[in-house]
Amino acid sequence: MNIRCAKPEDLMTMQHCNLLCLPENYQMKYYFYHGLTWPQLSYVAEDDKGGIVGYVLAKMEEPEPGEESKHGHITSLAVKRSYRRLGLAQKLMNQASQAMVECFNAQYVSLHVRKSNRAALNLYTNSLKFKIIEVEPKYYADGEDAYAMRRDLSEFANDDKSKGKVADQEVERKPLCFGIPGIPHAHDGHFCW
Amino acid sequence: MPSSDPLAPKEGALFRKILKCYEMKQYKNGLKLAKQILANPKYTEHGETLAMKGLTLNGLGRREEAYKYVRLGLRNDLRSHVCWHVYGLLQRSDKKYDEAIKCYRNALKWEKDNLQILKDLSLLQIQMRDLEGYKETRHHLFTLRPSQHASWIGFAMSYHLLGDYEMANNILETFSQSQTSIEAHDYRHSELLLYQSQILIESSHLQQALEHLKKYESQIVDKLAVRETMGDLYIKLQQPEKAVPIFDALIRRNPENVLYYEQYLIARQVSEASEKVALFREFQAKYPRALCPRRLPLNIATGDAFREVTDEYLRRGLRKGIPPLFVNVRALHQQVDKAKTIEALALQYFENLTRSGHFSREDADAGAPVEPASALVWTALFLAQHYDYMRDTDRALECINVAIDHTPTLIELLITKGRIFKHAGDAVEAYIWLDEAQSMDTADRYINSKCAKYMLRANMIQEAEEICAKFTREGVSAMDNLNEMQCMWFQTECALAYQRMGRWGEALKKCHEVDRHFAEIIEDQFDFHTYCMRKMTLRAYVGLLRLEDVLRRHPFYFKAAKCAIEVYIRLYDKPLKSEATIEEIDIENLPPSELKKLRSKQRKAKKKAELESAQAAQAQVKREQHQKSKQQATQETDPDAPQLDELVPEKLERTDEPLEKAIEFLKPLQQLAKDRIETHLLAFEVYYRKNKPLLMLQSIRRARAINSAHPELHSCIVRFMKALKADSDQRRCNAHVQQVLDKANQELIGTKTPQQLNDEFIAKNNASILHLYEGARGLYELDASKKDAAINLITSFDLSKLRLEEAIKIYMALRDGDVFGECEAKAAAYKQACHNRFQYARIFRNVEELEAQLQEKVAAKLRAEQEQQLNHLDVSESAGMADAAF
Repeated sequence: MNIRCAKPEDLMTMQHCNLLCLPENYQMKYYFYHGLTWPQLSYVAEDDKGGIVGYVLAKMEEPEPGEESKHGHITSLAVKRSYRRLGLAQKLMNQASQAMVECFNAQYVSLHVRKSNRAALNLYTNSLKFKIIEVEPKYYADGEDAYAMRRDLSEFANDDKSKGKVADQEVERKPLCFGIPGIPHAHDGHFCW
Repeated sequence: MPSSDPLAPKEGALFRKILKCYEMKQYKNGLKLAKQILANPKYTEHGETLAMKGLTLNGLGRREEAYKYVRLGLRNDLRSHVCWHVYGLLQRSDKKYDEAIKCYRNALKWEKDNLQILKDLSLLQIQMRDLEGYKETRHHLFTLRPSQHASWIGFAMSYHLLGDYEMANNILETFSQSQTSIEAHDYRHSELLLYQSQILIESSHLQQALEHLKKYESQIVDKLAVRETMGDLYIKLQQPEKAVPIFDALIRRNPENVLYYEQYLIARQVSEASEKVALFREFQAKYPRALCPRRLPLNIATGDAFREVTDEYLRRGLRKGIPPLFVNVRALHQQVDKAKTIEALALQYFENLTRSGHFSREDADAGAPVEPASALVWTALFLAQHYDYMRDTDRALECINVAIDHTPTLIELLITKGRIFKHAGDAVEAYIWLDEAQSMDTADRYINSKCAKYMLRANMIQEAEEICAKFTREGVSAMDNLNEMQCMWFQTECALAYQRMGRWGEALKKCHEVDRHFAEIIEDQFDFHTYCMRKMTLRAYVGLLRLEDVLRRHPFYFKAAKCAIEVYIRLYDKPLKSEATIEEIDIENLPPSELKKLRSKQRKAKKKAELESAQAAQAQVKREQHQKSKQQATQETDPDAPQLDELVPEKLERTDEPLEKAIEFLKPLQQLAKDRIETHLLAFEVYYRKNKPLLMLQSIRRARAINSAHPELHSCIVRFMKALKADSDQRRCNAHVQQVLDKANQELIGTKTPQQLNDEFIAKNNASILHLYEGARGLYELDASKKDAAINLITSFDLSKLRLEEAIKIYMALRDGDVFGECEAKAAAYKQACHNRFQYARIFRNVEELEAQLQEKVAAKLRAEQEQQLNHLDVSESAGMADAAF
């Protein structure tokens, strides 16, 4: 496996991976929008042949009312079923989070997750220390509610020594317990130029 | 410059309001204002107003009227830059970029320093990759507005894209000298600095690039890019010791990056495999959760050392139960000895786990604790995948069945079983297992997608669409939604399924849909030309431009284009009868009974056709409604995207010029996928049919340069020779052409006759079935009386040495009779022989047998469902656990 920052030529394969894994899909232009606005924030996981088996597509959001700085947001995160249980989702997320702090001074990262997606919820709360902020009713196109979640990123802030720890941090899972079906995210889809 | 046809102050104010309305997308108001001006008898013919009226109408989607008014306006005022600019904008919105460029150039003739027009022109030039023109325009903009940042950036970039790195660097250098106040954390400035270092690296000024980065490191916020680039530069500049700490830190930051380890090893200057493995062991200890330091030594180690590291790697994976364990070592199977070691280890685990619950006898003897019970299942799965890779279907099935018996609810096992059947040539059995797997986790789209794919491989298009519909948007058909989302894998698999079924029009429709996605993705660039300059993400932007230049090199395009070309060739070889000609059957000579049958058939057909056309009309209405609602939805962003022609399968498959259509798909391959031999073999097939000797020769030459031993190339050469001979018999080519062809003849076969060439080819390649097949084709092609000899040449080949795909290729050639003429009996005999060799492959089995099998399946499923219903009553309470921990 190989985890690295996504390049423009990866974006089409990320779209392919997204279409295989998740119900929330986007046209290529939306991927370009991410890759060309925040080129440091999206990561891919490759197999031995250079095929993309997982990705995180991320962006920055303007400050919420009453906040001073911008925060990161996970638009979409998926790992092909045949490559799950390697902890790839978590590793992708950590790399993206680090870049959010370094390049854009993000204080925290947010995301949405389906209420019913217990495996994803488990990853976010237990392995990645996300907290549920609120429930967004009918967030998804099919009417399902979403949890809006946040993770504080101060642990990533300018301390070179802690980075090693963070990058290699992983919560041990019990054998035979399947984790991480693709973690959906919805149509934040409206982006303006 | 003032307008060439000025309005009075009152009308002038109105006109400015029209412009405002257009910008604000208040098209209806704009029209009202235009009407006011035009109502004044003095201005009924006012060019600029008429042009703006047209552009406003375009905003409302009334394209034809828009063209009418814009052209009228222009005709009334040919010297107005406004009219030309407006005409350019209209053409641009219609995606006629070349025409739009001409309009802007005309506009600039009358108003040479108009910033807006220059900016618009530069966008079109970069979109069309008129790099010289772009440079001129950017230079002009620069001289007009030297105080704007964007002027400098665009100016520098125009040189960079032309490969004039020095000029680009000088411009950026001068620009950054002039920058005085830089904020503490300035992302845009940081991106610009990195862009400059990219230019230095691309121009091979590595030392300069390194110094640039060292100087500005504190101002660059993208720490990862700086460290990666500096580490790489130190290695390239022969200062590896300085690269060591950089890559050491990068590995700490991301221990899953293969490149970092490679660079680290280079920097440490270790060459011995054992030293490298030792270094990886250090990383294993440092980063116990990381995958790379465990996996990478498997690529490096050999012999006993390989056995040792692999043993550790596999045990750990089997103990933890990691489904991707096999896919992560699959690449090692290309080395025969490594594949053998892996097999031996897995067999040893299986044997000992079965006997004592340990991975080895030594563990058992030493009284080590037993492994988790699940380790046996994972080992059986691993072995099944291994044997499947080796195409040992029987053993693979044996292993997977052991695993399934042990843990029937583990979805990964069912997927693997399906894959084994797929590889063994039974697409139907394969899909049945995937369908089963899918039904056990209906919330997972990945397994759903795989199931759909397997259905398509079994030519079950409708079923595949229904399965996909579980995850597509409600209220839209799954096909439409997948098309809208640019889901190319699905569309390509559909095309291939239609192709297999001989539904040519449907196959072409899907191929064209994929092609349109590529056109759209190229279109997508447009908005980023200004956007990226503003955001200063110039490295990513250059990456985008370079990607779009070669976009159709993507395998998705290749697959769809190949399918389309093959279908168009098929339609050329065997054109479909038009519906009219079917009617014209010679009825006069039919006996009355036959005539009656025919009439009744025709009546039925007519009824059916009526019904179908009614349905089609209904569907059309639906589609239009859908289009409309879609249009309304996208009105905000793109009010006037041109409507593409609807793709109608019946029209596509009855094209008058199939080869020209094939060439449209071929051209991008020839340009962008010229390193793939299939491109040139396909090109030959097209030009052979067009009887273009020079282009045939070109295709052969290019193919030969890639792989002169490719079997299909031989058949091309033989047919080329034959075509030349037929040509020179009939008419004389142009003397120059003849000279080239004679020379080529000499180069390709020397003084041999095609027959001699073919005989030698057969003699030389008698161990390769694919070569023999092409030789046999040549034999028959050159002398049809040698049909039996040709067929015997391939059917007598030792079947045990054949791969399934090869057997299928040969059987289909015999069965379809296109290659060797009719040979039904031989095909039947060959089918039987192949059935004995490849017992699972559906293509070699009898229809009756298959039907009986299917019925048995249905009955079994019914029985199982009934049983389940009965059981459900008893155990419904504990059943909920099954999914979470099988």
